Amino acid sequence: MMFPFLKTAIHNAFTKPSTEAFPCPEGEGLGHYRGRIFFNPESCVDCGMCIRVCSPAAITVEREEVEGGVNITRTFDLTSCTFCATCEDFCEEGSIKMTTDYHMVGTKHEDLIVSGTTFKKKVLGNLVCDQDNCIYCGLCARNCPQNAITVDRTTKTWTVDHEKCVKCGICIGKCPKKVLKFEEPKEEGVVFDAEKCVYCTLCAKKCPVGAIEVDRATKTWTINRENCIKCGACVKGCPKQALSMGPIED
Amino acid sequence: MFNKLINDSAAKSPWLYHINSGSCNGCDIELVACLTPRYDAERFGFKLAGTPRHADIVVVSGPITSQSRERLIRTLAQVPEPKCVVSLGSCPKSGNVFKGSYSVEAPLDNYCHVDVSVAGCTPKPEAIMEGLYKAALILKEKREAMHK
Repeated sequence: MMFPFLKTAIHNAFTKPSTEAFPCPEGEGLGHYRGRIFFNPESCVDCGMCIRVCSPAAITVEREEVEGGVNITRTFDLTSCTFCATCEDFCEEGSIKMTTDYHMVGTKHEDLIVSGTTFKKKVLGNLVCDQDNCIYCGLCARNCPQNAITVDRTTKTWTVDHEKCVKCGICIGKCPKKVLKFEEPKEEGVVFDAEKCVYCTLCAKKCPVGAIEVDRATKTWTINRENCIKCGACVKGCPKQALSMGPIED
Repeated sequence: MFNKLINDSAAKSPWLYHINSGSCNGCDIELVACLTPRYDAERFGFKLAGTPRHADIVVVSGPITSQSRERLIRTLAQVPEPKCVVSLGSCPKSGNVFKGSYSVEAPLDNYCHVDVSVAGCTPKPEAIMEGLYKAALILKEKREAMHK
């Protein structure tokens, strides 16, 4: 053959250049590339597992006390991240996702930050009345927007329907003798059922703060309530449903 | 007139100088991949320069080890104004997984002003191209401000 390159030359004359276009067309040839982090603060339960597993310490958390709860802001610093996706793997709630967005170019530090704020509501206990000092004036019942309180002056009874009560606190402000208050809520936490437990130690392994200790030899299960952050990882990880979230009984 | 000709031409072809300050080589091979015909950063006039004295844009990769810190500062000082510093990957901006080590002196912001930072570990060549293109625009602005 006289011109062995002729076939290739003609073929190349009619094909697109092999050079990639700039800017790159969206979503082409990205495959499993791990790019910008997506964080959904709505489903985050603030268990802190992502911070614990992050090797370059790229995740920080800030807490701000506001009315009725706490604002928890989680910040992912992309200039510090190794994009190993360990946080995504360990997130029980699936709040962290690695996207294929590689456009992580910035002139300022703020361009390369991903953050989200979770609002954690402070739980109030049931409304209670100190009936020794109550004068049964009925002001609380009259001002209740849900008609949850009933006061009977003749029989000297004060009752509240906990189903109806929305814990707005209006009655507390109206009470002339200041005898109404919300009782301290019974502390919520992990409840252990010794009958179902097989002492497999999975809960201790799942716990992000290492608050649970299980001894297979002596069949004991102990939890450090001070360290527990009530994330629910142990409850989900228990194969025997021996753990649940609920009011703690001492 | 002669100066204007030089300035206009220089704006169309920013020369790169690449400093590896203890990088794992991941970012370095991606930067080189950027200059290959597949991604072709040379279409914007980018060209790797052999010495910092010829460079317009300095690309720094790596977490700045103690050994390379002095050399990095000396090299950056040799680059003539106007210059533009690009940090490549997570390492120069924060130290990445090496932060807190006795031999790592990141971030780069302590030693010079970083104009453009490209995040990723490693960044894709497309992202590096975007960063370099942004750096070229910043360089053009700096050059215009200098010759006003």
